[in-house]
Order: sequence, then structure tokens, then C-alpha cells
Amino acid sequence: MIAIYLVAALAVFAAIRATVEKNTGRKLPYVNVMNFAIAGTIVLLLNHPLALVAAAAYFVGSTLEANAIASTYAGGEQRG
Amino acid sequence: MLGELFHILAAAIISWILFVTVDIFFRLPEAGGVSGASAIARDIEAGGGALSGGTMMGNIVCSPDASAGTLLAACGVYVAGIPGGLVAAALVFIGNRICHDPGYAGTTGAVLATFVVYGFTQVGFAATDFIAGMVIAILTIQGLSHAHASRLLARLWRVRE
Amino acid sequence: MSSVDDLLVLLFAAVALIGAVSAHLQRDRFGKLIAVGIVFGGIAPFIAARGYLDVLIAVSLIVPVTTIIILLICRRDAHDA
Repeated sequence: MIAIYLVAALAVFAAIRATVEKNTGRKLPYVNVMNFAIAGTIVLLLNHPLALVAAAAYFVGSTLEANAIASTYAGGEQRG
Repeated sequence: MLGELFHILAAAIISWILFVTVDIFFRLPEAGGVSGASAIARDIEAGGGALSGGTMMGNIVCSPDASAGTLLAACGVYVAGIPGGLVAAALVFIGNRICHDPGYAGTTGAVLATFVVYGFTQVGFAATDFIAGMVIAILTIQGLSHAHASRLLARLWRVRE
Repeated sequence: MSSVDDLLVLLFAAVALIGAVSAHLQRDRFGKLIAVGIVFGGIAPFIAARGYLDVLIAVSLIVPVTTIIILLICRRDAHDA
């Protein structure tokens, strides 16, 4: 089953691009792709209902984090 | 192995059409939402992109949208068929509210994707094809060229307006 | 599938490593926080593969809260400064 290897490779690719990108606002979409990949990986590794909950928890958590970073970043721009 | 690859690519295209359509229907490219999304949109525009496309991309980052709904629905169908997909839709709904998002793009995307993915599993696809396919689909929007993706989304948004 | 084969170990360890190195090299505070998020992204599959799903659920919700607390502290420093 190559799906999981494909997804893992995309996670690495997205992590590299996020790191290389200098601008915060443009980093976040790359991190978003990585988070999709990791959430998918969790279920692909373990075909179990709890894995679905774990993937959802990971994804919502990472989205909340990205949202917080983006909001704080936005607040800084308006003040500065 | 090559057969699986073709299935994944087909699933990627189907997922792409599904989530982009639902997100545009729910007006994600419209400005004036979460402040974080606007900041991302501004940076994408500064990098040569379109503002409305960037706004949708920013909204995708800041709250579970139809793309997240499609991914988690595919995971749900993989784990437990249609009930699994609907449980995933419920989790996406909760996720939206946790992220202070009052919208229904994510939930709608998840419910639709549940039936779409399940349907395709009856004709030779595997749910895992859609999990990998959705990651590819989101890569094309958020992970390759922000400038090009945002301009494409902006053009599609103009069609809706 | 409870065993994670070598290629997958390599790929996710790479993600965690990229994040860790980046967290050290980044100047910008947002870049550092994002990098820490990438580290956790690389680690999460290992937790899942071992079957510690309840742990993963808990940590997946705790790590973002930690980041948010750090952001709030940073914001307050910027106000005072």
C-alpha cells in the first residue's frame, strides 16, 4: 500500500518548504499541508475508530495553533 | 502498485473538486473573517497572489473547512464505513466551534465526502486512496505556488459572484 | 499494522529533525513556534504507531494550548516593552 509512503513524503516536503519560507503568513499554508499529511498518517497507521478521533484531535489542535499564531501575527502588524 | 497510484490521483481530482466547490459555495474567499486569515491573505497577495484566493487559503489554515472535512471523512469511511464518515463530520463540526468558526463548510464537506468516498469504494476504490488523494489535493492549493493557487481560486470566486 | 517500517521511521524522524533544527536557526519568534509545531507533527505518528492513541489525543490538544499560552506571554511582553 503506497498511500502511507506518499503521505509521509508529502509531510517531509511540506516541512522543508515551511522551514525555507521566510514570511510567516506564507509559512502557515505549508504547515497546514504537513498537518493534513500527519492526520492522514495516524489513520493509515492504525485502522481503528480511536485513530479517527486521534487524527481529528491532532488536526483540530494544529489548526487552533495555526489560527493563534496567525492572529497574533496579524495583531502585531496592525500595531506596528 | 501503479493501479493504486492511478486511483490515488483520480481520488485527488475528485477531492479537489469537492472541497473547492463547497468552500467557494460557503464564501470562504470573502474578506472580513478571522484576523489570522486576513494576515495570511495579505502576505499571499504581497507574494504575487490574489486577495480573495489568499483569503480562502487563510481560512483553510485557520479553521477546519471542506478540505479538512473531506480528509477526515475519508479517514472515517476507512475506519467504519458511512457511520465512520458521519462521526468524522461530527468531529469536524466540534472542531469548527472550538476554532470560533460558526460556519458549516467543514461539516457539509465532511458529510458530502462521506457519501462520495463510500460510493467510490463500491466501484473499486479504497478509502485510503482518498486519504492520500486529499493530501495531494490540499498540496496543490496550499503547498506548491501560493500565487498561482490564489489566482485560480480568485477566478473561481468571480464565477460564483 | 502495528509495526512502522524503516522508511516511515526515517521520513517522520526527518520531519521532527527539520523542525528541531529550524527552531534553533529561526530568528523570528513566529518561525520558532511554527518549527516546534513541526517537531510535534513528526513525533505524532510514532505515538500512534505504538498504539498510544489516548495519549496522542491528549497531547494533540495540550501542545496547541501551550503554544497559545506562549503567544499570550509574548503579546504581554510587547505591550510592556
